[in-house]
Amino acid sequence: MKAATLEPTSLTRPESVPNASTPVRLALGNVWAMAGVVILELRRRKDFYVLFVMTALITLLMGSVNFFNESGIVRYLKEICLLLIWISSIVIAVTTAARQIPAEKESRTLFPLLAKPVTRGQVVWGKFLGCWLATGICLVCFYAFLGLISGLREQAWPVAGYFQALLLHWFALAVVVALSLLGSVIFAAPSSNNTITLVVVAGILLFGRHLNKVALQLAEPTQTILYWIYYAIPHLELFDVRDLVIHNWGVIPWGIWLAALAYGAAYATIFLTLAWLRFRRLPLT
Amino acid sequence: MKVSPAIGRPWLILALLLTVAFGLSASIEPWFQSWAGSRTESANILDVALGDSRRLFARHVYTKADAYFHSGYYPSMFDYNQQLQGDRLGRQIGLEAATDEHCAEFLGPSHDWIDRFSRHFYPSRHVHLGEDLSHSDHPHEETHHDTPDLDHAHHADSGADHHDHSAHSHGDAHDHDHEAEAEHGGREAQLEREVLPWLRFSASLDPNKVETYVIASYWLRTELDKPEQAERFLREGLRANPGNPEILFELGRIYSEVRHDPARARNVWELGLKHLIEQTTETTDSDRFLYAQFLGHLGRLEEEQGNLARAIEILTRLLEVSPRRESIESWIAEIKARQAG
Repeated sequence: MKAATLEPTSLTRPESVPNASTPVRLALGNVWAMAGVVILELRRRKDFYVLFVMTALITLLMGSVNFFNESGIVRYLKEICLLLIWISSIVIAVTTAARQIPAEKESRTLFPLLAKPVTRGQVVWGKFLGCWLATGICLVCFYAFLGLISGLREQAWPVAGYFQALLLHWFALAVVVALSLLGSVIFAAPSSNNTITLVVVAGILLFGRHLNKVALQLAEPTQTILYWIYYAIPHLELFDVRDLVIHNWGVIPWGIWLAALAYGAAYATIFLTLAWLRFRRLPLT
Repeated sequence: MKVSPAIGRPWLILALLLTVAFGLSASIEPWFQSWAGSRTESANILDVALGDSRRLFARHVYTKADAYFHSGYYPSMFDYNQQLQGDRLGRQIGLEAATDEHCAEFLGPSHDWIDRFSRHFYPSRHVHLGEDLSHSDHPHEETHHDTPDLDHAHHADSGADHHDHSAHSHGDAHDHDHEAEAEHGGREAQLEREVLPWLRFSASLDPNKVETYVIASYWLRTELDKPEQAERFLREGLRANPGNPEILFELGRIYSEVRHDPARARNVWELGLKHLIEQTTETTDSDRFLYAQFLGHLGRLEEEQGNLARAIEILTRLLEVSPRRESIESWIAEIKARQAG
């Protein structure tokens, strides 16, 4: 496990960027190379495998329970599986992103990395892209399992609905990864960053939708302050369409769905920019 | 073999501790086995793991079943001020008297653009299992158009209104169900099975929660056509809640409507009625409603069996508690006419 983090970050230019002659192509090559290292690291670590096996085992175990000799019951199974997928993916996203920059600093691979030359912005974007792609790969595995289990029971394959849910989930994780990277350049240790990010993400998912209702019941100036918080936070609960998937509500209007993706992308960009601004001034020694 | 004192002392201490531990366990074990707080007697893993705290989770799991019945459309704790009080799932099957507001919306108009936008990403329209769930660009605005029809479906299925009326017209709850369904443009069959896991979990967590047995039995007996499973579950409920009138009432319906065994149905209903009268110290609306249900069904059963005098006697008792006096009076008059003819 340690070997993966201590391994020097090799910036061999990938095949997809053959002649990195222009600055933009060079930057893209650097970002892509760093992303590849992060994906490789996740492949070597056991986190995903453990969480995937646990999700599959619990789901299969729950699926084997007989309720009144009714064989077609599936929604409770989708609910349990999706809950485990959300928990697992958030844990993977936060823990993977939170250790990236601190691990590079601790193992002192950040100095040669920045001397390549790779800019600090490229480091932030490369780490983000790697974590985001890695969580995307995990999500594809998780959703394939969910689709298989529910499809076999339900004898229905709502591919468009699953595709929308997967993409929304992935964009929610983009915000989570960006938030975690921002935390990694603010907080001293990955453990504190992990805890704070997980609490914030869980808090938004559980209470984000209801802050306005709570605010309306409060007196001024608390009402205005809470409403501002409501507007400022990234509403990750928008991306949580589990109830629509579980109860077969069908496809979200594509325009609305695209708007939600854009909303997620905007928040991820904001957090990454903040992370870059902070990392730019951060002393490395 | 001679053991040196330095090596032997730890072994002696260990032997002493083992002897003390064995002695203590031998003396405590019989007391523990007979202790009222021991969980070892239960074969239920939830009982062993959670103890009495499992009852706290039972309510949540039961609520989940209700949420499933509404395809995920359910108020959260933050909608509490706007949400409906009481047992929506229970009312749906006629376990409680229907009220005008039980199908009302809890979301209300959106407060801001995030609220409006977010309603596309969770169930924000009042539907029931199997009804059309297609999305619209304006999820909440559609709700108001749907509500009156859904209200009608509820009224057709639930409450004293339904029972008195069905008893009078010699109809069946399902006639009303299907009329309402036809008005909704049809529905996917047997989706009610999706609420069963949560009701099963709820019964495991809190065996004394009677509604769980009655509601699960209702769906098993009607939509899912599994009366034997319904009876088995009700008997499990009776073992946990001996003589419970609500369970006995539902059991009587299985004998009457599915098994077509009026003698057993009569016995079960009369037993249930007796327990209801004995157990009731303070009459609530719910008790009065159940009492009327017993009398309505017993009256109909006696009428069908040709025991017209007994039917009139029971319906006269029903007249004292039913809000639909006119319909009961005309029913009695009808039976009296048959008796005279």
